Amino acid sequence: MLQLGGGVALLLATGCAAGSKPQGANAPSGTAPAAASSLRIAVSSYLSSWDQDFVGFDLTALMLYKNVYPYLIDYGVTDVDGAQILDTTNITPTFAESFTPSADQKVWTLKLRKGVKFASGNEMKAADVKWSKDRAFAAQANVAGVYRVIGLTEPDQVKVVDDYTVEFTQAFPSALTPQIQAISLYVFDSVEARKHATDADPWAKEWFAKNPPTGGYFNVEKATQGQEIVLAANTGYPGPDPAKTPTIRISVVPAASNQRLQLQNGDIDIALGVSKRDIADLKKAPGVKVISAPSNQQVTLQMSVTTAPFDDVNVRKALAYAVPYEQIIANIYGGDARPAKSPVPLDMPGYDERGYPYTYDLEKAKAALAAAGKTSVTSELVFEADNEEQQQLAVLVQSEARKAGIELTLAPLDPATLAERRQKRSVPLQITSGQLWVNDVEYMLATSLVKGANLNYSNYSNPEIEKIYEESHTTVDAAARGELWAKVQEILAADVPWVVVCQPNFNLPVRENVAGWVQPMDGLARLRHLMPSA
Amino acid sequence: MRIVRFVVRRLLQLIPVLLGVVVLTFLLVRVLPGDPIRTILGPNATPEDAAAARARYGLDQPIVKQFLDYLGGLVTGDLGTSIQSGTSVGAEIGLRIGPTFELVVLALAVALVVAVLLGVWSARHADRAGDHGVRLTALVGNSMPEFWLGLVLILVGYSVLGWFPAPSGRVDPDTNLTPLTGADLLDAALTLNGPAFGSALAHLILPVATLSIVVVAPLLRSVRASALEVLHSEPYVAATAHGLRGRTLLRGYLLRATLARLPSLAALVFGTSIGSTVLVEYVFSWQGFGQWALRGLLYRDYPVVQASVLVIAFCYVVVFLIADVAQAVLDPRVQI
Repeated sequence: MLQLGGGVALLLATGCAAGSKPQGANAPSGTAPAAASSLRIAVSSYLSSWDQDFVGFDLTALMLYKNVYPYLIDYGVTDVDGAQILDTTNITPTFAESFTPSADQKVWTLKLRKGVKFASGNEMKAADVKWSKDRAFAAQANVAGVYRVIGLTEPDQVKVVDDYTVEFTQAFPSALTPQIQAISLYVFDSVEARKHATDADPWAKEWFAKNPPTGGYFNVEKATQGQEIVLAANTGYPGPDPAKTPTIRISVVPAASNQRLQLQNGDIDIALGVSKRDIADLKKAPGVKVISAPSNQQVTLQMSVTTAPFDDVNVRKALAYAVPYEQIIANIYGGDARPAKSPVPLDMPGYDERGYPYTYDLEKAKAALAAAGKTSVTSELVFEADNEEQQQLAVLVQSEARKAGIELTLAPLDPATLAERRQKRSVPLQITSGQLWVNDVEYMLATSLVKGANLNYSNYSNPEIEKIYEESHTTVDAAARGELWAKVQEILAADVPWVVVCQPNFNLPVRENVAGWVQPMDGLARLRHLMPSA
Repeated sequence: MRIVRFVVRRLLQLIPVLLGVVVLTFLLVRVLPGDPIRTILGPNATPEDAAAARARYGLDQPIVKQFLDYLGGLVTGDLGTSIQSGTSVGAEIGLRIGPTFELVVLALAVALVVAVLLGVWSARHADRAGDHGVRLTALVGNSMPEFWLGLVLILVGYSVLGWFPAPSGRVDPDTNLTPLTGADLLDAALTLNGPAFGSALAHLILPVATLSIVVVAPLLRSVRASALEVLHSEPYVAATAHGLRGRTLLRGYLLRATLARLPSLAALVFGTSIGSTVLVEYVFSWQGFGQWALRGLLYRDYPVVQASVLVIAFCYVVVFLIADVAQAVLDPRVQI
């Protein structure tokens, strides 16, 4: 999955907390100060639903799901240059005992630990896994979509072997299986769920829309609609790395400026919705630190290769030469972003910038436009209406592109209109920002660059890419995959469906005593690692 | 009896008005560009997945059938299911309307009291320094955008002075307030929860002040103008010439005549206040009706948009009805 959502996505990608004593000018009034064993986190909105299968696709919800649903396997953590990051090459069992493939890597066997319980007291068993995956297939939404990438399309492919064993039989082997299952293999308490199912609502949608799941790293102790969610560490979690903070309070503070004030005053420990401008100021604020780390979030300009004027590759090249990359990084991101030289994100295995020719060069831009037989072209430039960063970027690109003969009309769109136009593939040029939830080029192709892919806003299709994509399904050797990805990048550099603008760094303002932040490669914070420092 | 007949007649008129609102909203929200389904599906969802989701919400049906189903639901009190949250729209309104109503009603009450006191005082001290000061202050308050004013009050009241709680909700969740109406102050009073009452009151002060400051100017100007008119009217001048006491003049001759015009203006201001709550709720993390309706509109959550417009229309009609009755009581010349 690719998370597209601009600044909000970035902010939510981060996340978490330290149990700090209130500091600053004022003790928080009205609410009890956070105890040393708890953390307070501010988010921009309340989650839309607790049901991960049928609804609930906002970023607050997705982040919470990672922490309250029991994910049977999950990413490990690795140390890179002193920073802790989620290790997408190391998928480890958590609530499960093991998850292992057959020799041909088509059948994966999930063994559950015995004695693991949901909050209801029901034991987590194979029947829960089966019911949960049947539910996901029935929903025809999030998990059902992602399972197709690894050849899981029917409920019958998930079989209960015994009370503690489940088999997943894929249509083909896939190197992506561990990562795909790491984001999909969550389970419901099916015994409890069946109590709330009816003939009209066999999957208890109504119940799960309002009632949090149980049994994850945290249980929801209390949820005050629209205002606050209190998470309590699940002491029954049987696996490695249990939650380090007993209580985490997540409060909804929509206004970024209020999050900043509350962070400075010590009323919250972590602010997940502060603007870039405020973050720059907070770096100098007493009692606050800004955790900064490289991120795989990409900012791109995606051109529709089937819509004029970008149906001509030379026009696409002209735009790629007309974008002021360094100026954007300096002026919009304050230097806090990395230049990117490939549509493959910098920290994704297989990144290769060889042969990527595009830098800011107006003469080359004009020459490319001339090669298209044109001196000027016009197009609209679509971006998210409520995204300040994208707005600034659009203005800068518009200004420089005009010098090369590309006249852009700015078109900010609300979420529903943007979603509809993207689906109709009727956007000639648009700004996107987001990061892949699976850190792998095959997944990137599957979601964004093969024919019919849902995020293929460029409507891009190349027979060689399609062939490589098919080949990659069954290529599990890392070196062989690396060769495929080098070829992919060579083709994409020639076809230029996207202009890759940069990769902004991740920044998270927290109180000074917050520790344990683990940088998520999928943009969704894992709160179990967080702790108040001594 | 006349008033009762008037109220009944106006309530009956509600039916065609609301029916018109229902039809218009149902059609207009579907004319707007935007897909309500795509935002609840994952990025890997296929057109078939989207079609299945559309079918779940009945959006695959002919528009006439969709409308008849919606109308049938309304008759039975079912406002539909939110596409974004998957929960009952009626239940969501129940959670959201109380906080917003509390905010608007209190803000309007404060604004009315301030407008009457200062408006009459200004008129009685017309063209003096105090009068100019009051009018100028009201004008400045009216000119300030509510979100900016809210942020300034937060900066001063919470961050600098530390007198008010953090703007992160309506009541401290640790007070364990049992929600009854959704209006936290009222619920705290009804459940005799002292800590929750104090917390809700503390959380209300800044947003109520913001909204009151924004809406008080037109009320104040109206009261002042009416009071000046009364002060220069023959009956009032005659009463003054007869040497009546100040209190008698104020209560018997000035106040009632001055306030006669106020109800209809207050009803209009009530409508403005509902609109203003969208920003005030955002700034103060209020999670009320305004933010809920706005999100519904942004994501084309059809049942939410339809229900929110219907509720607002209903409120308008009822508030104007109350205003008309109040005006009739205050001004005997008004025939109803």
